[in-house]
Amino acid sequence: MLRRGEDKERSVIHLAYLDAGSGSLIVQAVVGGVAGVAVAAKLYWRRLVDRFRRQPTDQR
Amino acid sequence: MTTAPTRVRPEPASFRDPANRVFHVGDEVLRGLDARAAEHWRALRASMFFPALVAAGKVCATEDAPPALVPAGTPWAAVLRHERIPFVSHPYEWSFTMLRDAALLHTEILRAALGDGFTTKDGSAYNLQWHGAQPVFIDIGSFEPVRDGEPWAGYRQFCQTALYPLLLTAHLGVDFQPWLRAQVDGIEAEQLRPLFGGTRRLRPGVLTHLHLHGAMQQRNAAASSTDVRDQLRAAGFSRDLLLATVRGIDKLLHRLDRRPADSHWADYQRTCGYSAQDRTAKEQFVTAALTAGTRPRLVLDLGANDGRYSRLAAAYADYVVAVEQDPAVVDELYRALRSEGQQRILPLVLDLADPSPGGGWRGVERAGFAERAAADAVLALAVVHHLAIGRNVPLPEVVDWLAGLTAPGGAVVVEFVHPEDPMARRLLANKPEGLFPDYRRDVFEGLLAARGRVTDRLELPSGTRTLYRAVLGD
Repeated sequence: MLRRGEDKERSVIHLAYLDAGSGSLIVQAVVGGVAGVAVAAKLYWRRLVDRFRRQPTDQR
Repeated sequence: MTTAPTRVRPEPASFRDPANRVFHVGDEVLRGLDARAAEHWRALRASMFFPALVAAGKVCATEDAPPALVPAGTPWAAVLRHERIPFVSHPYEWSFTMLRDAALLHTEILRAALGDGFTTKDGSAYNLQWHGAQPVFIDIGSFEPVRDGEPWAGYRQFCQTALYPLLLTAHLGVDFQPWLRAQVDGIEAEQLRPLFGGTRRLRPGVLTHLHLHGAMQQRNAAASSTDVRDQLRAAGFSRDLLLATVRGIDKLLHRLDRRPADSHWADYQRTCGYSAQDRTAKEQFVTAALTAGTRPRLVLDLGANDGRYSRLAAAYADYVVAVEQDPAVVDELYRALRSEGQQRILPLVLDLADPSPGGGWRGVERAGFAERAAADAVLALAVVHHLAIGRNVPLPEVVDWLAGLTAPGGAVVVEFVHPEDPMARRLLANKPEGLFPDYRRDVFEGLLAARGRVTDRLELPSGTRTLYRAVLGD
């Protein structure tokens, strides 16, 4: 039996080869300058809105 | 009539992308492509940017392999033939400026590809090799058509194998080579972030490419990259934005520079105390030694320092690998060779008493130095005493090691520094007295004669150094 915490992911993430990595994809928008920051902001805004939209159904 | 050669040797470094694999047949370097990769290759071949990069020597020359070369029974939809890289090296054997130039070539190629509707699916510094002091991109299987609205899939890998090592050296003055050598996938953001606290966060590239990147990786560890791609596309990520990102990386790379460090070896050629007579005699001996047999294809210059003898050797050989321990010295040499447009001398950072071991999967994915080095001629000028006295390597071991680096029938040009020589005395002064009773010229000569045939010998005018040419293993 696993003790609590043993199955948690390690803090250092070993990503597979040819796996772009989600965080590495998003950060590229920010590196791209002002227009990129706007894209990243939009992405996070949409995620936030989605979370609030989903909540009522989750609580059912 | 030629018969198809059948002995296929898979390249141990080529297995991570199942869509294409490199293998060797005789002296040929071939690459098998699955149906999709073959389709990408045909598009690549017909593109504008790819032939231009090949013509400029920036991408390794590649063509469809003649059917006669392809062994029967290969499962591939298409097989390509690559030009042969004269000597394969790894990023942890490069100096700072070499890694930076390799990284700059990668971004240049990516920008050219993006302008023509292509991208690269990875971003590894291992995808670059060298023609002397000129980097060349070798991973043809990495090119694929770009999908609009998607960032560069190779960015994380590029950071880990190129950008982070460069940040480490440029901003902190720490040599990156041991870090890269220790981890085949490069340096992870989380390993480097603790070193870049306080005001160091404000150094070029650190806040975004390192800290923000690392934080984003942590926060999005659970999100699938497919979902994130869709979200980015929906949020308006465009190809222009991708190009702006790559331009940003390019600009950053141009700003990064090596911190000049004081190095004992950087002044060696000026301070080592050779007389002009010694030097002339030595150069004549080396020239005669290199021209005595058939023209060497590969010469190893061990302890190359400022590359004086590498340049000499390049006049009589196809390719010279100039090995030197001090990264700062190699960097100087590389910069000089680059400005000369030298394509037949490859400078590498390597400690002769601790050469690159095999790395990666099963220890064979990145071949160790000993596996790669089979030279037709080995120059070991003023290195034996550093190994035998400085590093306590027994003299018979040193001679065995030289023999191991030499292809059968190849020649070793070796300098033995007598115990009375000022440089040897300086090394001996740091060791307990009487520790090296066998460090003698007659012992060394006996060891050489036991392993091969000493064809030439010259005592330098100073009388404290002797040069030998020995043919080993024929």
